[in-house]
Amino acid sequence: MTERVLLKNTANPDFHRIDACLAAEGYQGLTKALRKFSPEEIIQLVTDSKLRGRGGAGFATGLKWSFVPKETERPKYLCCNADEGEPGTFKDREIIEKDPHILIEGMAIAAYALGVETGYIYVRGEFDFGARRLEEAIREAYREGYLGKNIRASGFNFDLHVFRGAGAYICGEETALIESIEGKRGQPRLKPPFPAIEGLYGCPTVVNNVETLACIPHILLRGADWFKGIGPEDSPGTKLYCLSGHVRNPGVYELPMGIALRHLVEKHGGGTHSGKKIKAVIPGGVSAPMLPESDLDIDMDFASLAAAGTMLGSGGVIVMDETTCIVRVAMRTIGFFHHESCGKCTPCRDGLYWASKLLKRLEAGKGKKGDVEELERLCGNIFGNTFCPLGDGAAMALRAAIKHFRDEFVYHVEKGKCMVS
Amino acid sequence: MPKLTIDDSEVEVEPGFTVLQACEQAGIEIPRFCYHERLSIAGNCRMCLVEMKRSPKPVAACAMPAADGMVIRTNTPAVEKTRKAVMEFLLINHPLDCPICDQAGECDLQDQAMAYGLDHGRYRETKRAVKDKNFGPLIKAVMTRCIHCTRCIRFSTEIAGVQELGATGRGENMEVGTYVEKALASELSGNMIDLCPVGALTSAPYAFRARSWELRKTESVDVMDAVGSNIRVDVRGAEVMRILPRLNEDVNEDWISDKSRFACDGLRYQRLDRPYLRDGGKLRPATWDEAFAAVAEKVKATKARGIAAIAGDTADCEAMTALKDLMAALGSPHLDCRQDGAHLDASHRAGYLFNTSIAGIEQADACLLIGTNPRVEAPIVNARLRKRFLAGGFPVALIGKKTDLTFSHKHLGTTPNVLDKVASGAHPFAKVLNKAKRPMLILGMGALARQDGAAILAAARKIAEDSGMVNDGWNGFNVLHTAAARVGGLDLGFLPGKMGGRDVAGILDGAGMGEVEIVYLLAADEIDMDRLGGAFVIYQGHHGDAGAGRADVILPGGAYTEKNATYVNTEGRAQVARLAAYPPGEAREDWKIVRALSAVLGKPLPFDSLQQVRARMAEINANFAHTGVVAAPWGTFGEEGRLDPAPFASRLANFYMTDPISRASPTMAKCTEAFVNPARRRTGTDG
Ligand SMILES: Cc1cc2nc3c(=O)[nH]c(=O)nc-3n(C[C@H](O)[C@H](O)[C@H](O)COP(=O)(O)O)c2cc1C
Ligand code: SF4
Ligand code: SF4
Ligand code: FES
Repeated sequence: MTERVLLKNTANPDFHRIDACLAAEGYQGLTKALRKFSPEEIIQLVTDSKLRGRGGAGFATGLKWSFVPKETERPKYLCCNADEGEPGTFKDREIIEKDPHILIEGMAIAAYALGVETGYIYVRGEFDFGARRLEEAIREAYREGYLGKNIRASGFNFDLHVFRGAGAYICGEETALIESIEGKRGQPRLKPPFPAIEGLYGCPTVVNNVETLACIPHILLRGADWFKGIGPEDSPGTKLYCLSGHVRNPGVYELPMGIALRHLVEKHGGGTHSGKKIKAVIPGGVSAPMLPESDLDIDMDFASLAAAGTMLGSGGVIVMDETTCIVRVAMRTIGFFHHESCGKCTPCRDGLYWASKLLKRLEAGKGKKGDVEELERLCGNIFGNTFCPLGDGAAMALRAAIKHFRDEFVYHVEKGKCMVS
Repeated sequence: MPKLTIDDSEVEVEPGFTVLQACEQAGIEIPRFCYHERLSIAGNCRMCLVEMKRSPKPVAACAMPAADGMVIRTNTPAVEKTRKAVMEFLLINHPLDCPICDQAGECDLQDQAMAYGLDHGRYRETKRAVKDKNFGPLIKAVMTRCIHCTRCIRFSTEIAGVQELGATGRGENMEVGTYVEKALASELSGNMIDLCPVGALTSAPYAFRARSWELRKTESVDVMDAVGSNIRVDVRGAEVMRILPRLNEDVNEDWISDKSRFACDGLRYQRLDRPYLRDGGKLRPATWDEAFAAVAEKVKATKARGIAAIAGDTADCEAMTALKDLMAALGSPHLDCRQDGAHLDASHRAGYLFNTSIAGIEQADACLLIGTNPRVEAPIVNARLRKRFLAGGFPVALIGKKTDLTFSHKHLGTTPNVLDKVASGAHPFAKVLNKAKRPMLILGMGALARQDGAAILAAARKIAEDSGMVNDGWNGFNVLHTAAARVGGLDLGFLPGKMGGRDVAGILDGAGMGEVEIVYLLAADEIDMDRLGGAFVIYQGHHGDAGAGRADVILPGGAYTEKNATYVNTEGRAQVARLAAYPPGEAREDWKIVRALSAVLGKPLPFDSLQQVRARMAEINANFAHTGVVAAPWGTFGEEGRLDPAPFASRLANFYMTDPISRASPTMAKCTEAFVNPARRRTGTDG
């Protein structure tokens, strides 16, 4: 068993209290940052660590931070993306609820490095408990002088606010998140300008995922080389994998990046709870194209999964055993995206509406000849043409389902019923 | 300048261009729905996707900045496929009810569907339906037709400056509308009808009245305010069916106000379509000969100095020229074109013009508004001010009635005392003006049409001079007129003559005392008719409004859509309105009426054609010899004097009804009901 980093304290039921944190290593990363490092040195350290964003796209964190202009008269902002809406994903919640101070500390270090004085944690609307935990933790951090004015007598000021979302999945997309904080309708913005130049209120802004930010204090304390020593070279560190579906031991697992999917599912997850054969696995939340059982010998890192036509995404691993109807999975998945499409762009808004209706009809046994081809055509007409990756993700997910399990779709058309149940 | 390759040919474009603009420059049309050059870029319809070298996915041409070395392809099978895909998606939820849609024939969706649509629908599922929204009396909303391009939302938030329109709901449930069920309160709302690429937003008054291909189109200018917005008048038979804006970058860009657009149904009501004579206290229809004979008889019996003429707010320059020359021939010095008694000083043209020019507002860097509410007096000017404001670095202050101008400004106070303080330099805003490089002020009729108007004019001149508003290449002194006829009247000298000529107040006083026996009202309806005493009133105009009600003789003229006529806007820009439909019945073009009457009176005017009248206008004032605006030389105008402490009052109580046409308009009546008197309607105490 490898060492736990991010989740090392989450078993302690009191660790959401600052006293418990301070008794361990709590806020030592921040203190070290303020005493021993210049902001530029921290950005360099994070760049050297090769930390890549855990929000889905795997963008190099140090590089993202380096885009923020140093000399600017405008305020800068740091937003933590705690919207965690991707189905099959529940890792950020673990941190927020059980170790909120590691996030606050990570944000304070990032803010210091970026010259930010105001931060927001954008919390998914449904995470009421988590939001309250965060608010309480922020109060404690202010009280103990880790937030607010002149933190640890360093002259550095940082105010942190919790902003609760209203439950729209699209608000996890960073520019929609920014619009939402501004009080606007949650939908993505045009890029360029990128948030690093013009983000929140038109000011330079960095948006990072909870898990990304939670890595920062550890990198500060132990160094870039330590971090690089875990997992594959181009995407090091530990990763929080969320196991769900037909798996015996669902839950959040902290394991090195690049662990084999089969190992994760079979050893850590204990295989299927029914003991039946695995049919397919979604490796990174429902936007990530599914892999059939035969493809499970793959490493869970950005590059390997991309090479296999899918992605690490949010690390939400959903296991499906052989009793699963893939047409139904497709219907539910596209139903989700159709429901969550923000409505801004035509291919996503109308294309997913169409695909969703067709899949519902197909699943209900009312398929018509040509439906499968129609679905494939729809995927082609949506993919690549949408404003933001939501529509693309939906099309890729559907395309993979049809590619690997076409016979099930055809069976639905021809027999008007499901092949497996 | 970035150089890019589009479909194998090189184009060099201005920095800041988008790929779409670069394509246009190269003569390549990119289909689009959401993009509009005057609105922010949305990039949401995806109709404009093109291929870009090294980009794995197609890019939205409207949103992609053109960069050096870019290689763009717009004519590949993949681009074609993408356009067809987007088109198909847009059509699945579109009702395709073109036969009953007013947009048909001028619908972007219909046009693009011809180019990129399939000849048969592949969609086999059910279509969505959207509940229609209440956009008020001007806009008919059929929201099932909406393609969510958000042009209307961007127009209302960006150009009109009202935050009442937006999208609610996600995905398939996304709907465009006012968040609460209420009419959209903007003087510019009709422009959304033009912007909406489909038939979701159409003109409510025009609904089902005509098909676009049945209309005869005439380019003209508007007279509902003194902006001189360029318009297109669409006529079927003899009836004006609708009015649309015509692009003029210097004046109205692509927009017109709701009054300019919708008051035209007033042209159908209360028209004077034949001469009338008062007989035994009652008006009776008469022939032209009878009417002229009655005038001739009265004129013969009256001394020259007992005759007076007032030109109204929509009088055209040709008619004013004819009437002025007729008055001179008759020997009367009593004429005026300032119905509201504004103390406008015609001695220097710069003293009564909007010298900065409307487009020039965009160069200004500070602005003081005095006794004006541009939002109702000239919505188009207000839109420019807002545009300038949004560009940043444009402090605006208002002395006058507190109001919502759609952009933030400092309200300095309501009385001339504040003006005095600014003029003396004691007020902090004087420093703002002094610091500015190109400061401007706008003086409204609310400041000039009062007892101390001349002193206020002088005070404003002082502010302009002291804060460096007038220098080489810049004149920040502006008068914002509300009457379309006013600057033309001033340019023509339709003003009291030197030999004791009476102004409007003098004419009314004289009439009350019996010294003025004949008053010739040229489309003048805004004076207090009760003060005309026992005078013999000749009313020449087109509507049965206040003037006609008081008249002894009515000479039916043409409305602005029914004559070839010149109007000079508040900037001093002479523009021509063109005859789009003939005047009704026996009504005639106005200058011709005066010309015919002059012959009956034995003083025949020396012009028989429009060219000759216009030559005469140019003779009176060289400004009529050209189009466009020329800088007017500065001078000393106004009269220094004591300022009355009474607050500046707004001249226009109801934006929607300001002249005989808009007062006769059922649509403007509905707007008055919806926007001006909503409180009254709610309480219901007025029955
Ligand atoms: C539709 C959509 C939903 C997203 N949802 C989330 C989310 O819930 N949480 C998250 O951290 N990132 C989400 N992202 C990714 C963010 O846009 C952004 O890339 C990320 O927050 C950056 O953080 P990182 O650099 O730390 O990975 C989403 C992206 C898309 C397109
Ligand atoms: S793809 Fe388009 S409609 Fe879908 S969520 Fe993104 S912007 Fe909204
Ligand atoms: S109503 Fe018209 S302009 Fe407004 S979003 Fe819909 S289609 Fe576009
Ligand atoms: S015109 Fe470019 S996306 Fe609509």
